[in-house]
Amino acid sequence: MSETHPVSGYRIYWIVWFILLLVTLGMMLLGTTALTTALILVLLAGMLLKASLIGGYFMHLRFERASLIVIVAVGILATAGILFFLIAPDGLRVLNSSQSADLHVGGGR
Amino acid sequence: MSRTSKDLSIESVWRGGVSPFAVSWRKLMMWLFIITDGLLFAGLLAGYGFVRLASPQWPNRAEIFHLDFIALMTFILITSSATMATAVGAARQGRLPTAFRFVLLTILGGLGFLSCQAYEWSKLISEGARLSSNPWGVPLFSAAFFIITGFHGSHVLTGVIILSVVAWRALRQRVSPEGVELAGLYWHFVDLVWVFIFTLFYLI
Repeated sequence: MSETHPVSGYRIYWIVWFILLLVTLGMMLLGTTALTTALILVLLAGMLLKASLIGGYFMHLRFERASLIVIVAVGILATAGILFFLIAPDGLRVLNSSQSADLHVGGGR
Repeated sequence: MSRTSKDLSIESVWRGGVSPFAVSWRKLMMWLFIITDGLLFAGLLAGYGFVRLASPQWPNRAEIFHLDFIALMTFILITSSATMATAVGAARQGRLPTAFRFVLLTILGGLGFLSCQAYEWSKLISEGARLSSNPWGVPLFSAAFFIITGFHGSHVLTGVIILSVVAWRALRQRVSPEGVELAGLYWHFVDLVWVFIFTLFYLI
């Protein structure tokens, strides 16, 4: 089966490597400061940017057919997102219910 | 209703005999493996998110880990991904000696990362961290740390073994460009997972 890959040289990989390093350095500097909601969103955006660069250029997904990109994007990102946003917020409910139970026990003494 | 040539073309593609993804079956199977393995880590990180939100307090990672050291580990893994991508490019151009050299550099990167991880694990264990307890008051913290980084480390170790086989075959001129590419896909996946672990576990 013939496959066409427009990436012929190696230069693009090292450009991507340099961008990844810069983004990682920036995230490190931000990660050492006090975390706010806005900062967390910036860190998550940096994480997704790095993941896109690795998937797109190192794994050549950018040069594959759209059907393959869709199954990978839906298979990993969408499912992982659904999994995370369905399971993780339930932790807050557990936290709130355990804290209200503590208050109830403390108030009853 | 008359069907256009595009409709007929799509129908013939999905009827069989032609890959709708325009990749070989080996590469498609590797991608399917990566998707399923990615879901393993998605489950682990979702579980981590749950225990993190359910815990009234969580240890300050900056006081436990040296973020500079974690940054070094990240640098090693990202660099090894770049050397692996270069090896794949060289193999595709038929330059197997160059591919061999870059696969070797990738293996060195993998071994360097594993050494750093072994150091980090032994340091935390010497400070009293165990799978079910630790000195920082939240037992699930060390459980999450050992399970998530342990699973990732085992993937890195597997990648080093796979790359060693590829390097040996490249040295003997018995590896196909696609063989190098498939090993590369796995290695980049390991790097990709670390991007998520680094952000969600160490930074946030």
